[in-house]
Amino acid sequence: MVWNWLISEWRLILPLVLGWIAVCWLLPQQPSRSRAVGGLLGVAAMLMFGWYHLPLGGDVLRDVMFYVFAFAAVSTATLTITVRNPVYAALWFAVTTLSVCGLFLLNSAPFLATATVIVYAGAIIVTFLFVIMLAQQEGATTYDRHAYQPAAASLLAFLLLSCVLFTLQDWNRGMDADEMPTLIVKDPAVRQKYIRPPEGRAGNALSRPEGDDLGSLRNVGRSLFTDYLYAVEIAGTVLLIATIGAIAIAPRRSRGTFSP
Amino acid sequence: MNLESQLIVGAVLFILGMIGFLTRRNLILMILSAELMLHGVSVNLTAFGRQHGNASGQVFTIFVLTIAACEAGLALALILSLYQRRKSLDIFLWGNLGEPDSVKPAEYPPTAEPPAAEYPQLVPTGHVPKMPASVGTSKV
Repeated sequence: MVWNWLISEWRLILPLVLGWIAVCWLLPQQPSRSRAVGGLLGVAAMLMFGWYHLPLGGDVLRDVMFYVFAFAAVSTATLTITVRNPVYAALWFAVTTLSVCGLFLLNSAPFLATATVIVYAGAIIVTFLFVIMLAQQEGATTYDRHAYQPAAASLLAFLLLSCVLFTLQDWNRGMDADEMPTLIVKDPAVRQKYIRPPEGRAGNALSRPEGDDLGSLRNVGRSLFTDYLYAVEIAGTVLLIATIGAIAIAPRRSRGTFSP
Repeated sequence: MNLESQLIVGAVLFILGMIGFLTRRNLILMILSAELMLHGVSVNLTAFGRQHGNASGQVFTIFVLTIAACEAGLALALILSLYQRRKSLDIFLWGNLGEPDSVKPAEYPPTAEPPAAEYPQLVPTGHVPKMPASVGTSKV
């Protein structure tokens, strides 16, 4: 029973298991392992998953850009969490941020992509690098070379991921029972029937986007300052409180400023 | 290139951040993994915003960005303050919050020796202010 189910769902289970082994292999442990094996396993898992579950859409250029950005985001995120030296982890995280900004652009959010590049890659990464330079000058230390229970933690995380993906698959299988089980409904008629954007849901008449420029600064600003005005005020207050809190928490010289 | 593929990428990014947060022992890398999880959430939000054709998803992502900046600033200040106490970024040095005489959990072998804590020393500066004689005795 379980064996039959496993065999019938191998398209989803095999890439997940490969990805689990790859992440488990790549996480830092002693004695250190060959990173090429883990990298090959991870690339194989991503390619297999993309081949079976991310079919090409109509627009070739958008598809190619999506594959490039998604592949770059996932692979550099894996490198961020598996590399031993924290400086390289911060730099790989910057590359992940750039890839995610590419995905934002594909989701028609150009202003958001720019803001994310400025805030994340320009401010947060630099702050991280400053703290690494202040606190850890010697590169990878002993606690960077020993991950804490890598097999159990990554198994737990991949179980969660497989639950999410199986839920998505079941949801799509309910739509067209004749199709092969897949994560994405390809038939445009079925998509129109089940996955259609709701109409007339925009709360405020001012915040409804005009025409095609969904993510332009004008439309985002209109929505931000009509529908979410209170939230903007609260976010500003939270920023102020966080600034004061960071100044209060940050360490001072332990011997006083002036020496007698 | 449609809604579900974006959701899958977001879920994978979230999962990778979760693995990093659970397994890495460096405090800075744990915060970096939390930021990775926020990236996964942001991809999901913009994908749904595009699907629904309004700007709410992008506005939520702007709020995520704000909170991420606050979190990074606060967490890095906290990490520096913790580093001054123990001179190490190992999370296991802060694993024991119990009383010193309570039963300790099993030691994880490669934990570094915690160096002696450095407490602040107050330096006497200036002179002691003199109280006016009339304080406390004057009548209203």
